[in-house]
Amino acid sequence: MRDIFRDDFTFTKRHLGVMLCAAGPVLIAAMLAAEWLDADSGGFGLVQRLGVVLGAAALVLGLSLIPLGNQPA
Amino acid sequence: MATYTSPSTDSSYASRAALWIGRILLAAAALLLIAHTLIYIHYAIGLMRFPFDYDQGEGFELVDTVMFSHGDWPYRSNEVYPFYASNYPPLFHLILVPFVWVFGPAYWYGRLMGFLGTLITASAIGYAVHREGRHRLIAIFSALAFLASNYIYHVGPLFRQHLFMVMFETVAVVVLARVTDRADRKWPRRTMIAGLALLICAGYTKQLAAATVAAVFVFLFLRNPRRAVAWAVPFAGVAGAIFLFINVSTHGEWWTNIIAANVNTFMPQQALDLFRQWWRLHWALVIMAGLFALYELYFARLSLYTIWWAAAIADSALSGKWGAGDSYFATAIAATCILSGIFAARTLRGMWNPADNPISRRLRVLWNRAGTRTVWIRAAALIAVPALYVIYGLSVIHMPTEGRFFGSLSDALNLTSSYGDRYAFYDSAGWVPGYATIGHVPSQTDINNGWRIVDILCASDKPAMSEEAGFSLQADRDVITNPTQLKNLYENDLYDPTNLVNAIRAHDFSVLIFRAQFYPPPVLDAAYEAYYPSEVIVMNGFNYEIWRPGPSQPERDATAAALADLAPGEEITQPISLEPDAAATWITHMLSRQHWERSESAPAANCTAQHYTRDNETLAVEVCPAGDGAELTFGAVATPE
Repeated sequence: MRDIFRDDFTFTKRHLGVMLCAAGPVLIAAMLAAEWLDADSGGFGLVQRLGVVLGAAALVLGLSLIPLGNQPA
Repeated sequence: MATYTSPSTDSSYASRAALWIGRILLAAAALLLIAHTLIYIHYAIGLMRFPFDYDQGEGFELVDTVMFSHGDWPYRSNEVYPFYASNYPPLFHLILVPFVWVFGPAYWYGRLMGFLGTLITASAIGYAVHREGRHRLIAIFSALAFLASNYIYHVGPLFRQHLFMVMFETVAVVVLARVTDRADRKWPRRTMIAGLALLICAGYTKQLAAATVAAVFVFLFLRNPRRAVAWAVPFAGVAGAIFLFINVSTHGEWWTNIIAANVNTFMPQQALDLFRQWWRLHWALVIMAGLFALYELYFARLSLYTIWWAAAIADSALSGKWGAGDSYFATAIAATCILSGIFAARTLRGMWNPADNPISRRLRVLWNRAGTRTVWIRAAALIAVPALYVIYGLSVIHMPTEGRFFGSLSDALNLTSSYGDRYAFYDSAGWVPGYATIGHVPSQTDINNGWRIVDILCASDKPAMSEEAGFSLQADRDVITNPTQLKNLYENDLYDPTNLVNAIRAHDFSVLIFRAQFYPPPVLDAAYEAYYPSEVIVMNGFNYEIWRPGPSQPERDATAAALADLAPGEEITQPISLEPDAAATWITHMLSRQHWERSESAPAANCTAQHYTRDNETLAVEVCPAGDGAELTFGAVATPE
């Protein structure tokens, strides 16, 4: 973690993949949580559906980037 | 003309044919894009000659500029006369201040500046594409493709700050795109300062630039977190210091009017419809841009252009806000033009050099197994790339449909106005909620009708409350209210309309001029009570309603009481200080608010007899001259059992 502030540090494709893999489920969870917290909002709306699609896309992209290893992002 | 290299010397007849087809398509694309540019210039000149608001809100930007020219802030309380405040940052208006000093309040210089801003953006796009792709013709295509977009055409030559923000954003991105590329890994200090200063300019032109700022720092952070943070701290310090300075100087009104007032209702369906429309118009470029982004994601380093493109598309979702629209895609269009241009140039020049990684190795195996010959791929690219620019040029067609030249041209192309008789303009975009219904060149009749409204304002020494500022500015009267700003603040519980409502009830304004009635409900209620619609003047295809003062408050109260007390078969007479014709119009307006519908009217001697019905009730009203005013006689007609 301390390496991140090294003068020659740069993010790799693997780092990017891991970040996207983490962000995707968080986004999906947020969309589902919004529905759970505000059940009277009138159903699973357009924004929430879009959020879930984007979250899933981020997860897929992230997983596909991890095998690229240490190539710079 | 083209600088791209031809297929190798052993190319087949088919590849030579592809070369010639490609050249023909390139010529067709060039013709289309040049034609779009000429139409854009024609539109810009037409707008610069028009002395009133063309797009709602332009006049308020001029008011902001005039206030700055007097040394005043436009960020002030909306609750005191003239009930006006701005919801935009100051830079665009500050740049125009010298024009106010020299020429006085006028629209042409703001529109000229907006237009020049789009030319600078187009030039920056062309420069970026040429720097990354080394293909002069595609660089020019990319620049012209930006100007050809229906969305850019709409907003470019307006007295609006939006495309000036896009100019700063684009130039900032072009300046910073290669800042991390030096062999010694150092980021040149001057380039960084210039790029970040341009970003601050973008943000202080319009708040929407925040997404570009985020994209730049994500890019810098990915390249080197330490240096990114080291630059982010002074950047945030300078931007924050300016923010605090303005907020303290305006006693907090900056925060209220710039930030709080912009928290509007979000309509997801509007955003979705606009995204669909944007895709339908720009898909030929978006596909190339998307392929380039995927290439960088898997086979190269992510450039600032790609990160900016993704951020700009995400930011376009804000087009679903109330009051937002197609212009919110302008940054995404600029980024798309750059990415698609780099993709096109590299494809034509065969400049692809994917990194060696598991995915590229697997693709290479599949490629070899399929026996794909490079020469065929090159030949297909020679046709496909210019074909996509031709498709784009045809997708975004928009042009006036009347006039000596455009009338004949639109007839020859069998294009008719998309707006019927409202105005003569063909727009391939069609219409979805949020899409601006503008694009035509105002006619002399529009100009004459604008001056007719100004004459109405000049007939009184009082100010008018107009939904657009241009008439008040031309009549040299105070500009009263910024309607959408009041509405936004009211909906966020940040505006108390009591003072404005009292001013309307007291007839402090000579007339009210409505176009869309985007005022808070209590203000509209007061207007409906104290004024009445007198006439409609059409300008630019929009109806401008002139509302004149009705009777005084005591007369209105007395009339309401008389109507409430009226028994079947009884007659009550009420004098009011309006001329008979005006009195007849006013009483019809007043009764319509109580759901009475006029059923018949008949002149009788000097009087006018009118009948109104509501459910099973009938009301007779006779309007007769009386001294300088009129006399209203109400009679409730008994309904047979």
